[in-house]
Amino acid sequence: MPPQALARRDAQALALEPGQPADAPLAPRVRDPRQLAQRLRGKYSDRVTGHFVMPAREGRYAPLPEALPPGLATALRSRGIERLYSHQAEAWDAAQAGENLVVVTPTASGKSLCYTLPVAAAAMQAQAKALFLFPTKALAQDQVAELLELNRAGNLGLRCHTFDGDTPGDARQAIRLHADLVVSNPDMLHQAILPHHTKWAQFFENLRYVVIDEVHTYRGVFGSHLANVLRRLQRVCAFYGAKPQFILCSATIGNPKAHAEALVEAPVTAITESGAPVGEKHLLLWNPPVVNPDLGLRASARSQSNRIARLAIRAGLKTLVFAQSRTMVEVLTKYLKDVFDHDPRKPPRIRAYRGGYLPNERREAERAMRAGHVDGIVSTSALELGVDIGALDVVVLNGYPGSVAATWQRVGRAGRRQQPSLGVLVASSDPLDQYLVRHPGFFEAANPEHARIAPDQPLILLDHLRCAAFELPFLRGERYGPMDPAPWLDVLAETGVLHAEGQRWDWIADSYPANAVSLRSVADGNFVVVDRTDGAQKIIAEVDYSAAALTLYEGAIHMVQSVPFQVERLDWEGRKAYVTRTHVDYYTDAIDYTRLKVLEQFDGVRAGEGSARHGEVHVVRRVPGYKKIRYYTHENIGYGPVNLPDQEMHTTAAWWQLAQDTLERAFASRQDALDGFLGAAHALHLVATVAVMAEARDLRQAVGSGDGAWFAQADGRGRGQLRGTDGQPGHPDAAERFTPTVYLYDNYPGGIGLSEPLWRRQAELVQRARELVSACDCRAGCPACVGPILAGDEDKAEGTPKALAAKVLALLGEQT
Amino acid sequence: MSAVLAEKLRALQQQAGKATPLPNPSPTRGGGSPPSPQPPQVPENIRRLLGLRTRSLSVVPAPRAHDRHLPGDEIAPGLRYLESRHDGPPLPASIDARFARDFTDIARDDVLCFDTETTGLAGGTGTRAFMIGAADLVDGQLRIRQLLTTTLAAEQAMLETFARWLSPATVLVSYNGRSYDAPLLKARYRLARLPCPVTPLAHLDLLHPSRRRWRGRWENCRLATIERQVLGVMREDDLPGSEAPRAWRDYLGGGPATDLRRVLAHNHTDVRSLASLLTHLTQVHAPAPPL
Repeated sequence: MPPQALARRDAQALALEPGQPADAPLAPRVRDPRQLAQRLRGKYSDRVTGHFVMPAREGRYAPLPEALPPGLATALRSRGIERLYSHQAEAWDAAQAGENLVVVTPTASGKSLCYTLPVAAAAMQAQAKALFLFPTKALAQDQVAELLELNRAGNLGLRCHTFDGDTPGDARQAIRLHADLVVSNPDMLHQAILPHHTKWAQFFENLRYVVIDEVHTYRGVFGSHLANVLRRLQRVCAFYGAKPQFILCSATIGNPKAHAEALVEAPVTAITESGAPVGEKHLLLWNPPVVNPDLGLRASARSQSNRIARLAIRAGLKTLVFAQSRTMVEVLTKYLKDVFDHDPRKPPRIRAYRGGYLPNERREAERAMRAGHVDGIVSTSALELGVDIGALDVVVLNGYPGSVAATWQRVGRAGRRQQPSLGVLVASSDPLDQYLVRHPGFFEAANPEHARIAPDQPLILLDHLRCAAFELPFLRGERYGPMDPAPWLDVLAETGVLHAEGQRWDWIADSYPANAVSLRSVADGNFVVVDRTDGAQKIIAEVDYSAAALTLYEGAIHMVQSVPFQVERLDWEGRKAYVTRTHVDYYTDAIDYTRLKVLEQFDGVRAGEGSARHGEVHVVRRVPGYKKIRYYTHENIGYGPVNLPDQEMHTTAAWWQLAQDTLERAFASRQDALDGFLGAAHALHLVATVAVMAEARDLRQAVGSGDGAWFAQADGRGRGQLRGTDGQPGHPDAAERFTPTVYLYDNYPGGIGLSEPLWRRQAELVQRARELVSACDCRAGCPACVGPILAGDEDKAEGTPKALAAKVLALLGEQT
Repeated sequence: MSAVLAEKLRALQQQAGKATPLPNPSPTRGGGSPPSPQPPQVPENIRRLLGLRTRSLSVVPAPRAHDRHLPGDEIAPGLRYLESRHDGPPLPASIDARFARDFTDIARDDVLCFDTETTGLAGGTGTRAFMIGAADLVDGQLRIRQLLTTTLAAEQAMLETFARWLSPATVLVSYNGRSYDAPLLKARYRLARLPCPVTPLAHLDLLHPSRRRWRGRWENCRLATIERQVLGVMREDDLPGSEAPRAWRDYLGGGPATDLRRVLAHNHTDVRSLASLLTHLTQVHAPAPPL
């Protein structure tokens, strides 16, 4: 769905009238989101940094397939479906041809019929079974609703059951034996179904389809785990003589076919053209106005979202606001209720919708929304997927949801029934938000993010080989996915969990390995955060082992859903951090002395006048202390010590380097070059995070010497401080060799597959980083481009952090 | 090769904060890899990621224990068979089994008491039975037969042999077997691609009648407790059931047979006690006498 960028930063349309009250009604009841879009652009031209329009599109249709069982066709007709959208018909044809397929279509395009029809037909005609996997339980409930309605409408007699952690024990046996369609999630498949597959023998023997929805969410660590769960599933199916077809569904991503094929490790047909009619869609990018030009502070996203929602609701438009946290949902709901629900005698016009409410509260809210009784909804991502709440006109995103795909998916909630709709993305102060809102080109979705997985990540692979060996013995020569697992199995045999005999390896340990493998982390060393406020003991969060040293040191302010807690005690061995609720006006930032050493270089290319490589690195992280930073002003108000052991890991990295003589020609001093590298690292990290759809914590940056002799961080003076391997400060001029290097590394032992694609796209990343820095509104550098800088650097005539970083990036980039 | 891989993986696990990293290989679990024409290769990408470099390894053979003696006859490769006869319990030809729900009279000669020893309590397809003991009445005597696998491959023969001990009229008698032994065997037959002979049979699980009768009277209702309190059986040098998995794994890995022989004795006592307990339950119609 590539939208056309109609206008970008064309701020001259309508000037803000001086003296106009900030919240004057735009117009009485415009009732057309397009008019609201025009008026917002006119009135707030300095805030709207981009405006995209996806034109309306007529539907493309196909007749109901002739091979459809008559009962199913009747059921469809009784629900008013006389014909299919073209993509539904394509999906049917591909499924009938025995192909695996991935359906990539926008929200509300009738995606579920793409899998419902083949699955129901096979169940009716051949007693074939199907397994549905949804990433969350709530989604599973909502997405099978359509199937159940069809089943009821046509009296099809299909037995469709949910099998998850809430399924009572006495129902499980019946489901295993009799269900035609089992709806579950990857965790249940991994921990409950596959390790007990003999109980599911009849089910697996007749398993024809495996439906996996929302495959764009299976990326990074979670996706790498899922790919292994699917390897195990296919292995178990093969044991029962079944070879199910996969039907996958995805929101828009850059590589649906490749991603689907990486997950199922078989050819997959991609169906990417939606035949569903759509109304005209508008998307505005909105940057809150600068309120403190000296500090570069902008108004909060919250205030802007609130204002836009107010204007939309006043204009008679049904409006949905997406907030990033539950707290923010409550705050925005209150603000809107203060305006629209001050009369308690009238039914509420504003509703909140989020996880944490009781199911019947949520259902009640959904009904009220569908019935059109609600004018404004404030929600977390709980509403992002699938939940039917009827027609909406306007969607306001309070903050960037992390990917272009998720942005379009949320905006797609508006404009059902082919009406025009409007989405407004309000940027927060987060550097990523600021980057995106200033680079509207990202939203020309010709280039949406690529989902990546690394199923052969060594620790993930080892965990799943244990699970697989538990499920069925491995025979010599048997492949696991594309690989020969023999050496890995030998490792497991040496440790006594497998026994090798003759031509096979058997599980002999007294344990249930799937219970020890979480699909959302690498290894199981997660820390739990225990809230001890008021003498209670409540687990409020889990933190990856790799992030613990940076976020859970004693004294750290740890935010959970925007609520600050202070870490009082860290039990490193017990993997627990004890926290209490706090009300301080600062947050904390770990001082991170990370140094890297290249162990092996896999590949390298020229990058401008330097080089770009990728390979294996040894990372040592030391956290000697932390800084306290005051909210809003971001001033450093103190330090605290941290006493933790060094963290070591072997992982993969991509890195850029410039030769010493090149730097000496280009820079006045080594210090300047070093500062340039630190700024360039910040910019590269930002664009790389977006490019590979990574969580910022999965990918980290560092600057050091190519030979590992020293590393550098920005110090309190905003200068790059060089330190030797002993952590002692040094001066760049004293270093024997000076080859500063920018590293981007996977923040997991063994890597998680991010570095190689980064290296392959290195020229593009350097180019994007150059654009980021040069197009940034700041003068001397800011967190949205080269990282925070000190006030003293703001006034420098030349040699600003921004200019130095731009110079490094120019040397690494293509010469123009 | 795999030692280097193991070392690498251990390091990565430690770096990932795994609470229980791969243990160091135990010397008694050498196992011995299946023979292969060529040493297996770690795929190139993994090799690079793990930084594996070709390195010659000095393989230390696992020390072999001397005491590997096991009683009984090897009736199939890796499958040992033990049989003993004992005085038969005083059971009538037709047993009144109404102390158990869903049962009335059962023929004495159809009874087969059985118990398995398994590799653990974790459940799931990775748990296996390595020993099956059974007691039945033959010519007025109690016949105890035991099957013990000393290789993994012998499981097939064990399952086939056990199936031959059963007929459609057989009434299985067990202690907690309906919840534990029978489902486990069902999974094993399924994995061996054999029809399950256990599922269709009548199965009298003495756990529940025993619980009804003796609940709250002793510290628990385990078979060993009932045995001691009701049947007056004293076990000597008994290996706790929880030790059985280790005993078998150690033997499988080339360790001594000492503890595995104790598992045989333990299992023998179990099935013999099952027959006694059945007799006791049929005889005692009144509530158990006060202590």
